[in-house]
Amino acid sequence: MSDATFPTDRPSLLRMALCKPGFMVGILIIGFSVLLAIFPGFFAPYDPNALDYLAVRQPPSWAHPFGTDLLGRDSLSRVIWAYQVNMQMAVFGTVFALVTGVVVGALVGYYRGIADLIFGRIVDAVITFPFLVLVIAVVAVLGPGLINMYIAISVVYWVYYARLMRAEVIAQMGNDYAAAGVVMGYSDRRIIFRHLLPNAITPVVVYWMTDMALVILLGSSLGYLGLGAQPPQAEWGVLIAEGRNFISTAWWLSLMPGIAIVLTGLGFSLLGDGLADLLRPRG
Amino acid sequence: MKLKTVLGVTVAATLALPVAAQERGGTLNFARYDGSRLIDPIYADRNPDIWMVGSLFDTLLRGSADGNSVDPGLAESYTVSEDGKTVTLTLRDGVQFADGSRLSGEDVVFSLDRARNPDLSPWAGLLGSINSVSADGNAITITLNDPDPTILSMLATFNTAIVSKAAFDAAVGETDQDKSAAIFAVTAAGVGSGPFYLCGFEQGASMDFCANENYWRIGADGEPLPYLDSVHFEIVPDDATRILRLQAGEVDAAEFIPFSRVAELESDPNINMQLYPSTRIIYSPINTRESRADGSPNPLADARVRQALNYGTNKDALIGVVLHGAGQPMSSPLMAKATQYAADLSPLYSYDLEKAKSLIAEAGVEPGTQVTLTTLAGSADDATIFAALQQMWGELGIELVVEQVDGATRGAKNRSGEFDIHTYGWVNDVNDPSQVVGWLGYTPTAKAVGTGWENAEFNKLFEEAANEMDPEARKAKFARMQELYADASPLLFMYETPFAVAVGKSVEGYVQTPLGNNIFDEATVSR
Amino acid sequence: MSSLSYIFKRLLLMIPTFFLVMVIIFMLVRLLPGDPAIAMAGDRASDADIQAIRERLGLTQPMLVQFWLFLSNTVQGDLGRSILMRTDVASVIADRLPITVFLAVYSVVLSLLIAGPLAFVAALNRGRWPDAVIRTVFQVGLSMPVFYIGLVLLTFLAAQLRLFPVGGYGDTFGERLYHLFLPSVTVALYTSAIIMRNLRSAIIEVLDAEYVQFARAKGLPPRLILGRHVLRNALISTVTLLGLSIGNLMSGTLVTETVFAVPGMGRLMLEAIFARDYPLIQGLTLTFALLVSLVFLMTDLFQSRLDPRMRLQ
Repeated sequence: MSDATFPTDRPSLLRMALCKPGFMVGILIIGFSVLLAIFPGFFAPYDPNALDYLAVRQPPSWAHPFGTDLLGRDSLSRVIWAYQVNMQMAVFGTVFALVTGVVVGALVGYYRGIADLIFGRIVDAVITFPFLVLVIAVVAVLGPGLINMYIAISVVYWVYYARLMRAEVIAQMGNDYAAAGVVMGYSDRRIIFRHLLPNAITPVVVYWMTDMALVILLGSSLGYLGLGAQPPQAEWGVLIAEGRNFISTAWWLSLMPGIAIVLTGLGFSLLGDGLADLLRPRG
Repeated sequence: MKLKTVLGVTVAATLALPVAAQERGGTLNFARYDGSRLIDPIYADRNPDIWMVGSLFDTLLRGSADGNSVDPGLAESYTVSEDGKTVTLTLRDGVQFADGSRLSGEDVVFSLDRARNPDLSPWAGLLGSINSVSADGNAITITLNDPDPTILSMLATFNTAIVSKAAFDAAVGETDQDKSAAIFAVTAAGVGSGPFYLCGFEQGASMDFCANENYWRIGADGEPLPYLDSVHFEIVPDDATRILRLQAGEVDAAEFIPFSRVAELESDPNINMQLYPSTRIIYSPINTRESRADGSPNPLADARVRQALNYGTNKDALIGVVLHGAGQPMSSPLMAKATQYAADLSPLYSYDLEKAKSLIAEAGVEPGTQVTLTTLAGSADDATIFAALQQMWGELGIELVVEQVDGATRGAKNRSGEFDIHTYGWVNDVNDPSQVVGWLGYTPTAKAVGTGWENAEFNKLFEEAANEMDPEARKAKFARMQELYADASPLLFMYETPFAVAVGKSVEGYVQTPLGNNIFDEATVSR
Repeated sequence: MSSLSYIFKRLLLMIPTFFLVMVIIFMLVRLLPGDPAIAMAGDRASDADIQAIRERLGLTQPMLVQFWLFLSNTVQGDLGRSILMRTDVASVIADRLPITVFLAVYSVVLSLLIAGPLAFVAALNRGRWPDAVIRTVFQVGLSMPVFYIGLVLLTFLAAQLRLFPVGGYGDTFGERLYHLFLPSVTVALYTSAIIMRNLRSAIIEVLDAEYVQFARAKGLPPRLILGRHVLRNALISTVTLLGLSIGNLMSGTLVTETVFAVPGMGRLMLEAIFARDYPLIQGLTLTFALLVSLVFLMTDLFQSRLDPRMRLQ
């Protein structure tokens, strides 16, 4: 019964995907980004931390396609190694919030009652803060750095996932199969995790994709403000901050990581949009 | 008498110049890295406050141009008694506060009593030798408990600047703090006699100084200083934006130019890139305690290891990458060159990899020993220092790891000793070496800048020097302290840096002193 | 349900929310590492000085007492004294609030001016090249971090081409519009991208609706159709979206103020955090929260007025 609402028409899905150039571009960008993130050493021409005091801020050349930075490090290699950090951000910055949010949202949406009331207040309180203000405040509590940044984002973000999940679960509960599950005497756990969750999770997954783009933007903003990844670690926001002072004389320092951010962000949102189109319940 | 001679000289000088007219009037727009909070001589405790005190207030004496002696200020003359326990000063006649009211001996007594009240001022300790201050007409008498070689320098220091007693009496508020805040909130003339008075203030955003028409010092054209009508300060914390604003002509000067930009601005035809000599030193305290905070043995407790780190640090390379050449290695272990009694021990631990390696071996440090460098999160300089030190010390078999914290945490770690090495810096507030030496080496005041290093001979010399009135004998004691300190090296001795200020071509006469004070007295701007 | 009782119920709900907000703020600030007394006293102070400051700040009292003091003082409008600014937090915030609000409102206006016309152009040319170009540009805009957009605009439009001032925020209304133009555009790009997307699909939805097709078939001029049907629906969804993205907008101003050196609340927030200024962080966070919930409230009221169905939910 539940299969009726879940798209299973695989071949036509693939065909549709191929028809959507935006989606394909998204897949290509993210696929390549993942490759760079997993094997930065293979793609990067130099050690990203090797200093060369005698060749600082060299403009792009054949030897250094993106030029060199303030300490004579190869900019291309640093941008590539930063893929590892920034893609990691997209994963670790979202996955804890995703899991917690999905579980809490599903439970609250299923059981309602007092837990739902309390949850409602928590959501209200958290969304009342501008997101960045809260994340920065949490980072300030924990101290700057990547891991603390993940914690800060997760602490705030799970609420958004939970809210979305709760709404979906409540909507799904109105469907016949949920009622049927109750009538057939299935356990709550079975109804929630076997029936409601798979059906309600589609919009959450779509949201997750856009969220990864957002987290990369957020992470690089924090890096830029000095609250995220810390130099000498290569991270796009940090690299832009390093090049900030030289934007008119050594433009390549901030341009290249900027392009990387935009490309990756674009990739994730194209992917998210494409998925949303594909998975949108039809009929 | 003295005034007349000064006048005679300046008149002659002006006549000799092809253009005799002194540029007067106008507003100088100045971009600052951080704003002042409260420019009260006794409460100023951050550099952006301290460095502005001299523009709004006068001290009895003034630091001389070379920084090694004092000149008359509000007091036109001074004498120190034979036993060194009484200082007598004569106030200049007819000095007025910016609102036109007379500055009298009463104001001096009020100001100095306020400045040495430990319940009020964080700087009261610097005036600990004063027993009493009294005034009789223009004659001011200061009696001391013990002879104090620093007293004249102290009377030329910001915290002894003279405030108007009447202004404080009239201010609303229960406590002195409240009164001070109330006075500065209304931004009116009347509390100080400096070349300017505070005439506009938006906390953390902007600040205005207006010329004090009653200022007593005379300019090159024979009229009272300052030349400017006003100075408008804007707070622009971001380095790049501060420079952009100067380049766009929105401001006439920008302070704290990052050294990486100095060369570029030097070649800009519309900008004068000024590097003012300073007493600023950049160093890294090394934890010298026998064991680390977690109880493990501390490899840095061995002086040979600390020496090795100093030898193994290529200061020239460091100055190259961090300061882009705009700095010099420390030549005294305890102070900048510009400080009185600074010994020239250069080269102080010049780069010597072999020596460093043999000292490390001698001390029996295992290759791969981990040492943590605590740096300031968000500081580009610190990040660069770490990257460079990590590579340099890697050659010694030391594996340097970084721990990035904020300023408050770094301060707390310094206090509790939970660090291996961390970055720090210092600028003198007083034109005398005792302050910085007390901070860096004397155990009872600051645990030798948190390093835990303690040396009985050093402490004894420091205490003796505090009462030594013979300049030569005092100098000798400081020389010995510097020797002891260099040998023990509780610090990684890095470098001294100038104050980098970029000013537009239209600006002349602005100065930043080695202590950091911003001086607008003789600044001009042509439009 | 009458709109008065709706407002009343809506306000009542804000009480527990704000109690939680206060709890969150209080806990956050108490958990900050580094002793504010040390931060306040400076590196050179003695241990006794620090202890004295600690007592003066009330940091030696039990947590519950501190929370009660925080709560009751805040309700009375007393946000404490800023360590950094040495004056009342309330007055510091009162100085900065107008600048941030100006920036936010300016950005909203600009986003509507940017997104509105372009959404119409895109929707009316659906599937053709103008649509593709507009959507791609906004898609790229959505993928750019606010600080990077700001940096690029600042360097090229302000510093190199001298079209706009690099900093400052002016004294008169006209000057503010001029000085805050680039910062507002920076914030607006993101918001306008979201609005454009939404508006475009809202317009398309209406255009596809049967009654519009019918009206078209009847020969009503397209402009009239758009004016009558599209605008109203588009307005509701745009306002809702704007309301929901106010948090994003505020986050944007925080970064933008830092990049452009605009002395608003966002820049102050970062300064306060770096300086461990407890009272100021508390006050600012609370003000941000109040601003956001005010906008939520206004959005709700606006919606319930335009779309009566909302009230029944």
